[in-house]
Amino acid sequence: MPEVTFLEALRQGMWEEMERDERVFILGEDVGVYGGAFKVTDGFAKRFGESRVIDTPISEAAIVGAAAGAAHMGMRPVAEMQFIDFISCAYDMLTNYVATARYRAGLATPMVVRGPCGGYVRGGPFHSQNPEAAFLHTPGLKIVYPATARDAKGLIKSSIRDEDPVLYLEHKWLYRRIKEQLPEGEEILTPIGEARLAREGKHLSIITYGATVWKSLEAADQLDKEDGLSVEVLDLRTLVPMDDAAIVRTVQKTGKVLIVHEDTRTGGIAGEIAARINERAFEWLDGPIMRVTAHDVPLPYAPTLEDFVLPQTEDIVKAARWLAAY
Amino acid sequence: MARVDVVMPQMGESIAEGTLSKWLKKVGDAVKRDEPLFEISTDKVDAEIPAPTAGVLAEIKVQEGQTVPVQTLVAVIETDKSATAPAASSAAPPVAAAQRAPAAPGGAAASPPAAAKPAPTPVPVAPKGDGAETAEERLRRKSTPLVRKIAAEHQVDIAGIPGSGFAGRVTKQDILGYIERGVPATSPASRLPSAGPTGPVAHPVAEPWPGDRVEPWSKIRKITADHMIMSRRTSAHVASFFEVDFSRIAQRRAKAKEKLTFLAFIVKACAENLRKHPVVNAAVSGDGTIYRADVNIGIAVALDWGLIVPVIKHADELSLMGIARAISDLGERARTKKLLPDDIQKGTFTITNPGGFGPYAGVPIINQPQVAILGVGAIEKRPKVVTLPDGSDTIAVRTMGMLTMSYDHRIVDGADADRFLADVKKMLQEFPEGAV
Amino acid sequence: MDSRAAPAPPAVPTTRPTALPAVLSRDQVLEIYYYLRLTRTLEERLVALYRQSKVIGGLFRSLGQEGESVASAYALDRGRHKDILSPLIRNLGSLLVMGARPLEILRQYMAKAESPTRGRELNVHFNDLEQGYLGQISHLGDMIPVMAGIALSFKLRREARVGLVYIGDGGTSTGTFHEGLNLAAVQRLPLVVVGEYNHWAYSTPPEKQFAVRDLAEKAKGYGIPAVTVDGNDVFAVYEATKFAVDRARRGKGVHFIEVKTYRRKGHAEHDDQHYVPKEELERWARENDPVDRYVQRLLGADLVSEADLKDIDDRVRVEVDQATDACVDEPLPEPETALPGVYVNPPAADRLWFKAL
Repeated sequence: MPEVTFLEALRQGMWEEMERDERVFILGEDVGVYGGAFKVTDGFAKRFGESRVIDTPISEAAIVGAAAGAAHMGMRPVAEMQFIDFISCAYDMLTNYVATARYRAGLATPMVVRGPCGGYVRGGPFHSQNPEAAFLHTPGLKIVYPATARDAKGLIKSSIRDEDPVLYLEHKWLYRRIKEQLPEGEEILTPIGEARLAREGKHLSIITYGATVWKSLEAADQLDKEDGLSVEVLDLRTLVPMDDAAIVRTVQKTGKVLIVHEDTRTGGIAGEIAARINERAFEWLDGPIMRVTAHDVPLPYAPTLEDFVLPQTEDIVKAARWLAAY
Repeated sequence: MARVDVVMPQMGESIAEGTLSKWLKKVGDAVKRDEPLFEISTDKVDAEIPAPTAGVLAEIKVQEGQTVPVQTLVAVIETDKSATAPAASSAAPPVAAAQRAPAAPGGAAASPPAAAKPAPTPVPVAPKGDGAETAEERLRRKSTPLVRKIAAEHQVDIAGIPGSGFAGRVTKQDILGYIERGVPATSPASRLPSAGPTGPVAHPVAEPWPGDRVEPWSKIRKITADHMIMSRRTSAHVASFFEVDFSRIAQRRAKAKEKLTFLAFIVKACAENLRKHPVVNAAVSGDGTIYRADVNIGIAVALDWGLIVPVIKHADELSLMGIARAISDLGERARTKKLLPDDIQKGTFTITNPGGFGPYAGVPIINQPQVAILGVGAIEKRPKVVTLPDGSDTIAVRTMGMLTMSYDHRIVDGADADRFLADVKKMLQEFPEGAV
Repeated sequence: MDSRAAPAPPAVPTTRPTALPAVLSRDQVLEIYYYLRLTRTLEERLVALYRQSKVIGGLFRSLGQEGESVASAYALDRGRHKDILSPLIRNLGSLLVMGARPLEILRQYMAKAESPTRGRELNVHFNDLEQGYLGQISHLGDMIPVMAGIALSFKLRREARVGLVYIGDGGTSTGTFHEGLNLAAVQRLPLVVVGEYNHWAYSTPPEKQFAVRDLAEKAKGYGIPAVTVDGNDVFAVYEATKFAVDRARRGKGVHFIEVKTYRRKGHAEHDDQHYVPKEELERWARENDPVDRYVQRLLGADLVSEADLKDIDDRVRVEVDQATDACVDEPLPEPETALPGVYVNPPAADRLWFKAL
């Protein structure tokens, strides 16, 4: 089986969907001729033509709005935000228009908005954001956030096929660092709304998503070797709708929960997850629900600052140790 | 002379590695600052990389064609500039005395204000200030939801268990270990102190000889040992033996679709007759007798780690099937440690049934504060004299079992015990057909 | 005007200076050269540092655009508490003209603790409002309304000060460009907007960016005067900007200057511009480099000698070397310095609990 990077898997997923369904098209800045700022759509314009891989002006609001209109008419647009940080320019269209379309007007809006998110790359405050919290509370939007190459492919395909608007967050630090063997000739579809147990364990559960899945796995290995601690890692994969059953299961199993995400502490979705655990699995808790997150500051650029502000493997190890001993 | 490292650069945010495609200088060559030194190739771009300083190329660490991660050392340049200390960021400043996290999660370790009680005067009672329980104290007293659940199941008091967790709290491991080693006897309310009316139980010490193995008692063993002594000292133990013909029941069992144990029948028979003989379903309290309103029959279960007595509540209100199910359920939950506090409280009569490998008959010790305990001997085929319809006697093979009841002669006289047992025997030997 | 009629004449007249601007002294003419050379040399040093992994993050060159950046800024009233400009990523020249020092630029690019933003922001995203410049954020177009606001403060306080803001051809497609420009225009604020038509928004050419031919045509939609200028003609840009700045200062409102130039390097250092025909790049380099043209103008007018220019080249090289040496080994910021300054009060963000373990 060939080994593909996260980015390549994402490409494959979009390519397959474009081949399978002529209604699928891509729009965004520099996606066509250039193949995308990160080369995610490299080769697409040549294969599918520039009318299906549209180079737009620098106009995120128009990109999202236009995608919505095309989706109403039965097309399946995949709108790219060159950096997900620029989705803020489309906040109005995405939350007021797209998310509410079905509910208030019965308008189907099967579209995907995708873009590179996340830090650890010294990109500074406007090329490193994780915006999921800003949209989590918006009913009508689905949010997916793959951590593995397989899910990068499986989730983009599922998102494109989904009848609802989906925000697809792809972590730029994972793009070329994650390599997996993926079977060829097999339809890889990851169900939206289903979490994945990345690692089984008995003593403590880490609930996480995105790049911190890998840091959590690293931490779990270290804790296993050094402390004999058996840590379970649950990769949420989908943020909306969240897999409550999987979350409850892991809490029931270990009684101790550490929620890890790259987003800031205040208002980050760890709070939402903790509230749900409290509501559904209180009796199984053998310790407080703790979080490892970024500090509540805009993301600074210098490596020493970024490394401090964002959650690192070492932070997860220390936090897990503390909780395990609670 | 200073040595300056040359590393594989990062040409783009998501680039993790680069291939050194060509060296433009050889070891020993002089290089000028910013002069192109080598060429690299990455996913995004090919580039010439300039020397960071003037000097001589002293070492090449990575060969042409090699792909290495970003920041890997590829070469060393020797320069005659005096070595400047590398710009390593110094150690992080000493950690300010930060509060331990546990104080943080709930906010301040503030004492929860006591709920204002409705006061007789119109002036509202202010919430308690300092002097109320701290978070740590509360944690030691109440631990976590999971531990509280386990404590309730096994009827142990968290405060009595040593804790090894945060702030000295009782952890799941602590309480499970405690339970495995010690039997939670009864609820705190009805718990009898091991200092019984005859004083604290002190077991005499014996001398170990060479080769002997000395094993300190587990908690459950100690509690059992103390209870047995205390019970013997408390009650005036007397035993009555009644042999019962279980043949009719054996036939019924063979015909029954569902699995029915002998024990279920015995419990049923006892339950019916305890109502009729209340003194056997009673307790001694000081100079008085407590006649229990309910008939709650405990079934002694021997587990790997000790003895436990789950109780079938209101056994007299259950049908035979209901009793059978209750026995099965309690046994299962006893074995899987899923009993609730209610399950092991408030028994009024106990039955102990060793089962198929048990003795012909035994003399059990009363389960305080009850006044009677029924032991069931092995039930097996034995020869018995039976009177035929024509009045002649013959020997037949019957399924027989000995019931032994130990009872407390302080309030249960011999006649009381025998009358009760006779009725139980009669019911067992003439067990009614159909649904019971 | 009916857009389906015969092709319209060039939107607005292009200023065409024939002689050297009389308003500039010989010293000033040389000073402009100094800034041009400093911009280019400093960027070359930054490229070298980038390839040595000393510059962290991205590097965006302004090769080919130094002329308009330097010339436009040079037309402002410079010094403390005077005119204010907001540069974009390819306006390093304008920053240097306004008084930013190479040392500060290098520190910014290398994320040093002593950088103007203490390592918090990248490259030219820093400011000194007193000195006269306000760095951008990455969201294009956002600086237009902000500079409109600064110009608004000038107007409200009746100060004879002017704001100047740059926007790329791609940037004019953003919502905030439109809203900011419209607000400034209707308020008649003292704001000069320099639209840099450099042919490339990353890989996107103008024909995929907008349907007008010249950026200056957009200005009509806002009711403001506009001019299109040869962006690689330093004096042309200087004069056009001076004209607009003077008018703005006299209360005549917003002016739009389109400078036609060319982005000779990729969007950033990691972009190899494969989508641009190489001959095109070579032609611009050969025939239309703003620094070369400036040198030829000066030498042609016998205003300066080659030796004068070489002197400046040497001076600039030494200056850039010294600035580099001064800071290349400086430390990065201490990690905990990431926490203060989100608000005035509370003064610092909480240090998260697990850091203390």
